Amino acid sequence: MTNGSIRDMLYETPGPKARKRIRCFTVLAILLLAGLLALVIRQFAVTGQFAEKYWSFFTRVTTWRFLGEGLLTTLKAALTGSAIAFALGFLLMRGKIRRNRVLNAVSTALIEFTRGVPTLLFIYFFFLVVPKTGWKPSAFWKITLPCAISACGVVAEALRSGVNAVPKGQTEAALSLGLTETRLFYKVIFPQAFRFVIPSLIAELVIVLKDTTFAYIVTCADLMQNAKVLISNYDAMLSVYLVVAVIYILINYILNKISDRLALKLRRTQAEVKKA
Amino acid sequence: MSQTDIPVIELKNVNKHFGDLHVLQDISLRVKKGEVVVIIGPSGSGKSTLCRTINRLETIDSGEILIEGEPVPQEGKKLAELRSRIGMVFQSFNLFAHMSILDNVTLAPVDVLKKSRKEAQAEAMVLLERVGVADQAYKVPDQLSGGQQQRAAIARALAMHPKAMLFDEPTSALDPEMIGEVLNVMTELASEGMTMLIVTHEMNFARQVADRVIFMDGGKIVEENTPEEFFEHPASERAQNFLSTIRDH
Repeated sequence: MTNGSIRDMLYETPGPKARKRIRCFTVLAILLLAGLLALVIRQFAVTGQFAEKYWSFFTRVTTWRFLGEGLLTTLKAALTGSAIAFALGFLLMRGKIRRNRVLNAVSTALIEFTRGVPTLLFIYFFFLVVPKTGWKPSAFWKITLPCAISACGVVAEALRSGVNAVPKGQTEAALSLGLTETRLFYKVIFPQAFRFVIPSLIAELVIVLKDTTFAYIVTCADLMQNAKVLISNYDAMLSVYLVVAVIYILINYILNKISDRLALKLRRTQAEVKKA
Repeated sequence: MSQTDIPVIELKNVNKHFGDLHVLQDISLRVKKGEVVVIIGPSGSGKSTLCRTINRLETIDSGEILIEGEPVPQEGKKLAELRSRIGMVFQSFNLFAHMSILDNVTLAPVDVLKKSRKEAQAEAMVLLERVGVADQAYKVPDQLSGGQQQRAAIARALAMHPKAMLFDEPTSALDPEMIGEVLNVMTELASEGMTMLIVTHEMNFARQVADRVIFMDGGKIVEENTPEEFFEHPASERAQNFLSTIRDH
C-alpha cells in the first residue's frame, strides 16, 4: 500500500482553508529543518570535522575495498541468517498449528523464548558458552546463528498470522475436491499465506541485517567491524560512521523497495506471468 | 434391492447439535441416481448444515450417511477419496485466490486423480467452455464477476467427474443480474442427468428443475413432495407461511 492511499483513508480531501494551512506548515517545517541542518554543519565546522585528514582516505580505493569486504560479509550473514530464520520459523509455525498438544506446546515455548530474549544474549551465548562445549564455530557463524535464532520466533508468528488470514472457504473448497490436509496446506494455504506476509518477512530481514552489526563482539569482519578498524586507523570517528550509516540506510531502503514491488507483483499473481 | 436402486446419497436418522441447538433432528433422506432434490426453508433451518454433512465438512452426532451404499469415512485418505467423488459448490465460490481459473480447475485432477497436466488442462478448457468462461481461463478469480466465478467453481467441481453435486446456496452471494447465468448452467447439468442436491432460495428455479422438494424448518424435514404439489398445495402450516412470506415480496 502506498502512503497516498493511507492518507486518503485517514483524511478527507482538504478544502481551501485547510490547503492554506497545510502550505503554511510545510514552509515552516522546511525552514526549521534547514536551520537545524545549518546548525549541524556549523558545529561540524567549529569542531574541525571537515578537516582533510578525516575525509581524504575516502579517496583511496583500498578504503572502499575494505568497506566493501565488510559489506559483503554483512550481506552474507544477513541473508544466511534470514534463510535459517525462515526455515526454523516455518518449522515452528507448522508445530504451532498442529493439533498435537506436545508439539504445539514445544513450538509455542520456543517461539516465545526466541522472541523474548535479546539478540545480544544469544550472541554472547555463542561467543562465550558454545566454544566451551567443544564445538568451535567460526566468527561468521557466531554472529549468523544467534541472529537467525533471534529472528525465527518472529518469522514463525508472521507466517502463522498469514495462515490464519487465509479464508476458511479455501480450505473447505480444497477438502471438497479430495485434497489431503498436507497437500491442501502446501498447494492452497501456504502460497496465499506467504504472499500476505512478505512485507513482514522483509522487515524481519532488515532487523537481522541490523543485528549483524553486533559482529564486532565476535570479531567477525562485517561492515561495522571494518568501520571500527578504519576509525582507529585514521582517528576519524564521525566521518566513518556517517558514511557507514548511509550505506546501511541505502541497503535497507532497497530492501523495502523490493518488498513493495514483490507484494504488488504477487498480488497480480503468477497468472499473467504464466500466460506470457 | 438391485444395484441400481442403491441411492447415491442416503441419510439415516442424522442428528447434530451446535451446543444447545439441535440443528439436525432425525434427518432421513435419499437421493437416487439422476435425481435433483432441492432443499428450501427459512434461514437457520439447518439446510446448509445438512448439505455440508454429506461430505463431512460438518460432522454429525448420530445417525448414518451413506454414499453409494457406503458409510462416509471418518478421516484420512478414504475420506479425501470420497470427497473427490462428490462435487461441491459454495455460496462464496471459494475459488483459490492465488491461482488462475484454469489452475483452479486442474489442481484436483492433477493432484488427486493423478492426471497429466496436459490432459487435465484440455479437459478443463472443455468444461470452462461449457459454463461459458473459457475466455477467462488465464485470469485470477478476483478479475471475474461473481457469476463468472461461480460458473468457474462449478467447472472445477465437474472436473472431478463427481457422482453427485452439492450446491450450498450457490446464488445467494450474487448480484441479481448474475443469478440467471448460474442457474442456467445448473439447469443444463440437471437435464444431463447429474445427481444434484441443491440448497437454494430460488423458488422458480426449484419448481423448474426439482424432482423433489424438501422443506426444512427448525432442524427437521417438515415436508417432502413433488415441486408441483409442494408449491400448489403445501400440506404443513409452516410451509404455507414460508411460501406466503416469499410470495408477498
